[in-house]
Amino acid sequence: MVSVEAARPAETAPRPGRRRGIQQTRGYRVFQVVNAVILTIVVVVTLYPFVNIVARSMSHEAYIIAGQVNLVPRGFTLDTYRLVLSDSLFWTNYRNTVVYTVTATVISIVMTTCYAYVLSKKQLKGRGVLVGIAVFTMFFSGGLIPNYVLVTSLGLKNSVWAIALPNAINVFNLLVMKAFFESLPGELEEAGAVDGLSTYGILWRIVLPLSKAIVATMVLFYAVAFWNSWFAAFLYLDRQELWPVTVYLRNLIAGATGAENVGAIAEANEVQAEATLKAVTIVLTTLPILLVYPFVQRYFVRGIMLGAVKG
Amino acid sequence: MFRRSWRHVATAAAALLAAASLVACSDDSADSQDLSENRVGAMENYAIGSQFKATEPVSFSVLYNNHPNYPLKNDWLFWSELKSRTNVTLEPVAVPLSDYNQKRSLLIGAGDAPLLIPKTYPPDVHAYVSSGAILPVSDYLDLMPNLKDKIEKWNLKPEMDTLRQQDGKFYLLPGLHEKPWHDYSLAVRTDILEELNLAVPKTWDELYTVLKAMKAAYPDVYPFSDRWSQPNPAGNLLNLLAVSYGLEGAGWNFQHVSWNAGTQKFEYTGATEQYKQLLQYLNKLVAEKLLDPESFTQTDDAARQKLANSKSFVIGANAQAVVNDYRPDLAATNPKAKIAKIPLPIGPAGEINPASRLENGMMISSKARDSKNFVAMMQFVDWLWYSDAGQEFARWGVEGTTFVKDAAGKATLAADVDMIGLNPGAPKHLQKDFGFANGVFAYGGKPELVQAFFSPEEQEFQQVMNARTPKSPPPPFPLSDEEREQVSLWETPLKDHVYQATLQFALGQRDFGQWDAYVNELKSKNMDAYLDTVNKAYERYRDEHN
Repeated sequence: MVSVEAARPAETAPRPGRRRGIQQTRGYRVFQVVNAVILTIVVVVTLYPFVNIVARSMSHEAYIIAGQVNLVPRGFTLDTYRLVLSDSLFWTNYRNTVVYTVTATVISIVMTTCYAYVLSKKQLKGRGVLVGIAVFTMFFSGGLIPNYVLVTSLGLKNSVWAIALPNAINVFNLLVMKAFFESLPGELEEAGAVDGLSTYGILWRIVLPLSKAIVATMVLFYAVAFWNSWFAAFLYLDRQELWPVTVYLRNLIAGATGAENVGAIAEANEVQAEATLKAVTIVLTTLPILLVYPFVQRYFVRGIMLGAVKG
Repeated sequence: MFRRSWRHVATAAAALLAAASLVACSDDSADSQDLSENRVGAMENYAIGSQFKATEPVSFSVLYNNHPNYPLKNDWLFWSELKSRTNVTLEPVAVPLSDYNQKRSLLIGAGDAPLLIPKTYPPDVHAYVSSGAILPVSDYLDLMPNLKDKIEKWNLKPEMDTLRQQDGKFYLLPGLHEKPWHDYSLAVRTDILEELNLAVPKTWDELYTVLKAMKAAYPDVYPFSDRWSQPNPAGNLLNLLAVSYGLEGAGWNFQHVSWNAGTQKFEYTGATEQYKQLLQYLNKLVAEKLLDPESFTQTDDAARQKLANSKSFVIGANAQAVVNDYRPDLAATNPKAKIAKIPLPIGPAGEINPASRLENGMMISSKARDSKNFVAMMQFVDWLWYSDAGQEFARWGVEGTTFVKDAAGKATLAADVDMIGLNPGAPKHLQKDFGFANGVFAYGGKPELVQAFFSPEEQEFQQVMNARTPKSPPPPFPLSDEEREQVSLWETPLKDHVYQATLQFALGQRDFGQWDAYVNELKSKNMDAYLDTVNKAYERYRDEHN
């Protein structure tokens, strides 16, 4: 972190003085106004869909179908929230999602970091092969059934490992991280080696502290991916109390749209307003990620950019 | 060096794949007649009317379609009562309803399927037959007296024949209905009918007159704006019309071939005279601005929105859509509006009920044949799904606990048990708290049973539909594996072209003078070869099995 921080003042130092000078000119003020307008439009455009979804989630189904819900809920009701949140299975599944996401992200970060760090070393023999093995999986896969047979015969079925292990390394993330490590000056590591650090010592005490940006980015990537994933869970988990919340909500929507009860009438308190339900689902599943995002965001841009320039 | 290792990786991957596919396709066929090794737990004198009870406790795995409205619970009365009545424990493998079919394919493909695989629709079976993973259940009907009895009593043999594969066997135990149960039709704003002094249209021609009268009174609206158009344009409407014109099906029930009883041959549905006529009918509606042209492409929500805002008065419907969608929608925007599902309009084919009497049903894994409990399992399946007692148990539950019977034998829910709002405020729910009326175990049967939980309105609709002649199923034409493969290569281009032309003709972008040119286009897409294959398969089957 020290060296990253040290690099910044050099970039930003001259600016404050210059900015004060430009601020006087008229052109700059016009620019600022135009800028503000454009950015406001961007904010509105990106924020509107989300506010709309929140409004829908609290509206009565009929108003949504009539196309009358915009920014403010109409026919305000929290029934759908109540319906979803009062189900104990929902909470069990939500807890599963948290457990799976944390476990899988930790495993993924450790594995990806180790693999990427090794691959970033130019002197490594067979480096091309190791990269090739990883890249191969980007373009070819064993297919659904062989994967299933493999996971099942390894005894991973109906456990968190079926979610965490087969997807532990995302090759795209691996390559971004490799490029980042390659951009670190080798002299730092050499200095560490001269001072008596082992390989793991160098990774732990020198490389990782300098890589907070990329690690934070990867945590975000992996966490979002695992949070949203449902397919692996659907394939490998045979009991509903093991499902993550994504499978639960997906099933709930299918049940509300499906034609299972054809001919019968659903109970009034249970007409699971399909349109409302979709909105509630989106709100409930995106909320935690949205809350985490601002805290990781400052690393986010830097992390991916640093890798990208070099890669 | 890199290149050589690359090859190693490829070889290793190929070896792995080969090993995996070997695992997936283990196949062994036991002699189907000798069952002496498989009778453990089975009853000696199991027959119609007897209560099945395994002579020792047995358990069978079952693929379970988990419905979010009544999620699986282990303490359901269904499980414990089943155990005490039959000595059978079912071990459910829970699969979310949203992706049931995909998981089923995966499990069968991986050789990991449970013994019982319910909720399978007849066309889905073809894909699994050649793998050998599914038991040809027709070989074991002698173990299932109730099923045999129902097929005979309800004259279901022609329907059952449509399930047969090229080897003359069938692989699915379908849900059986005594009477066909048709649900989809049109819903009409009855308050508008009253306002304009119109009768409920009985035929498609009357519908045209009604729409015209509506248009005259409300020139700014398209009186008919339909839904269910994605992914198949006018999926429901085309199908309703096709069956009314005597064809096998179209739209979301796209059937490439229809049986022509006159020539005793199959014809290509999209090229028949009837199909032309139904397109002309649609074209007339569109040209006179009675049918919203967007009906063919819009989303369901858009169609519902138009109906809710009185921008249309007629829409495709099933019982559920009327109660769950249209009425609540209209109640919010127009409290005076009334809407009801009308009996399927009658077309040139006459008063027919197009619904099939077969429903989704159960496949059985071939590996079950090697189990020592095989006979007991078949008897159990026969009792729970096909005996009167078993069907009543699966739907209504336990007499005195979940339901009561009056002197005439008519069942009603117990006072403290609710189901679809029949006993509002009751503390317990038949599906959620007891596990009965569960789509996995309860379907088919006598009309009293099937319609047990229908609203009076829907029962009335069913009465009208039941008075009509059930449509006779087409003769079977089981294709061989190679034929099926060949035919499936022709199907997509043919289907795409029929869809394209359907839209062009219906919307008036193509003149009906070009109908012959259109049929020739289908011919250039192998229509004749397709028909040839189907008709040969039909003749082959007829000669071999009659």
